[in-house]
Order: sequence, then structure tokens, then C-alpha cells
Amino acid sequence: MTARTQLLDREVGKALSALSAAAKKGLGDPVLAELVMIRASQLNHCAFCLDMHLTLARKNGEGEERLGLLAAWEEAADLYDGRERAALALTEAMTVLTEGFVPDEVYEEAAVHFDDGELAHLVGLITVINSWNRLMVSRRVPPGGYTP
Amino acid sequence: MTTPTDDTKTTDYAAEVPVRLNWSQHAPEVYKAMIRLETVAKRGLDPALYELVKIRASQINHCAFCLDMHTKDALAAGESVERIVQLAAWEESRHFYTEKELAAIELTEAVTVLTDGFVPDEVYEKAAKHFDEPELAQLIAAITTINAWNRFGVTCRMTPGHYTPGGHA
Repeated sequence: MTARTQLLDREVGKALSALSAAAKKGLGDPVLAELVMIRASQLNHCAFCLDMHLTLARKNGEGEERLGLLAAWEEAADLYDGRERAALALTEAMTVLTEGFVPDEVYEEAAVHFDDGELAHLVGLITVINSWNRLMVSRRVPPGGYTP
Repeated sequence: MTTPTDDTKTTDYAAEVPVRLNWSQHAPEVYKAMIRLETVAKRGLDPALYELVKIRASQINHCAFCLDMHTKDALAAGESVERIVQLAAWEESRHFYTEKELAAIELTEAVTVLTDGFVPDEVYEKAAKHFDEPELAQLIAAITTINAWNRFGVTCRMTPGHYTPGGHA
């Protein structure tokens, strides 16, 4: 499959990369960041982003079992700790905005596990992967081209 | 409370819900990067078209704060009340919009609702007919950017009703 267009304004790419870097740095948990980015990319069906973040997660030492079961994390809850589960639930709620608001219980559970600063950056990270998903799916950028 | 009209003294409106998180204060460098993204994503796009895109995405994502901001900005920039009101039902009110605007609105919906499937070929191709490649790249970036603002607005429950047109410029 070829891309519809590879064109992405250089400044837009730079701005989004800066946003990613700021959110990741503030969250300070690279493994969690990859789980969040993989889950959002699953929901948004972004092949390019899945390929990229699965590669990065493995490079960060993430295991195949946790990666493989991530799409069904609620049914495999003992593989993920409470903080990870809260972040994944927030990821899902923020990614599927079109079906409703971010529920109070989801937000509040995240606020139990993340302080305000961490939470603001987690919200930023979920937003930024949603942005990359939109840019890649819209332009149909094919997967497989990413090397860490 | 400054919303919604002059009759606030006599009408018993529901209480305003407080903001969940002042994200821009807790992540100022993330906010700065968002402002930068907004600035570069809209370059080369017709501002009136971009407001329609922002309003439609904010409707689909249910972002009250963003709707408050962008409907006020659109009105202040001379957009008609009719075109704003009809936007939620644009498929039944196509004659309010140009074919180019319709292609952009349709692409906005497809790029906003990714969870239901991919961006259909016919939607992309229609947009590509009306926008040249660099302009289309900017349109996609702009749709992506309002989707990003919507996520901050909804998740942090930013409060609508207090925006003054031109306030984010």
C-alpha cells in the first residue's frame, strides 16, 4: 500500500514532535507512555503508529504478553498495575470523545494515581498520539518504515 | 456567571461545573507546543473555512469550551448565524456552503471519527479535488489540531461561556 500523500509541513511535524517530547518528559515513564500510545493507535486503527510504538515498547523491554493482551487489558487486569490500568482507561475515554464525555470515574481514578503535573502531561501524551494517529491515517502512511 | 443572556437574574440555570484540571499551568511547555502547533497548522488556510472545521470537530467531540470560542470567533469574523446553526446538519443544508467547504467538512468528520473506521477513499479524493496537495496537508494538520484542543477541553472540563472573541489571538 502506498501513502495517499507523504506531505506534511515541516513546521507542523516539528511542532508535534516538540509536543510529544514535552508530554513524555513530563510524564517520565517511557514504558507507560508506549502502552498508552499503542492502545490509542489500536482504537484509531493507525498501522504506522502501531508498528512504531510496538517496536519502541519492545526496545524499552516490554514483554510480548503485555503487548499482545493490551487490546483486552480489562480482561487481563493482573498483567497491568493500577496506575497503568487508570492510564489505559483514560486513554480510551479521551480517544473515543465522539461517543460521550470523559466519565468522572475514569478521570477520578487517574487523579488517584497521577498528581496534577503528571496527569496534565498524561493528558498531553494521549492527545499527541491521537494527533499522530490522525495525520498518519488520513495520509495513509504505510507501516513498516519505522526504525528506532 | 456571564452566560447565557440578560435574563440570568430571573432564570434558574444549573450551576456551573468547575474545571477538573488547569492543564496549561501544570504543563506549560505542553501548552506552548500546542500554541506553536496551532500557529503553523493554520498557515495557508482560509480563516472562515478553518472556523467551520473547528466548530464541526468540536460538535462531534462535544467540546463546550471550544464551541464557545469558535462560534464567537466565527461570528466576530463575519460568519452568518445561519451557517453556524446549520453546520450540525450540513448534509441536509448543503446549499449554505461551497463545494470546497463541504469537502473540508466531510474530511473533518472522517478524520475526527477514526475509531469507527478509516478515512474513506471517496472522502479523501473529494477533498483532494478541491485542495491542492500542500493545502490539503494543512487542512489535515488543522483538523488534527482542533481535535487536540478538543481533547484538552473535554478531559480537563474547561468551562464554556467566558470567552471573548479574539481572546486566543
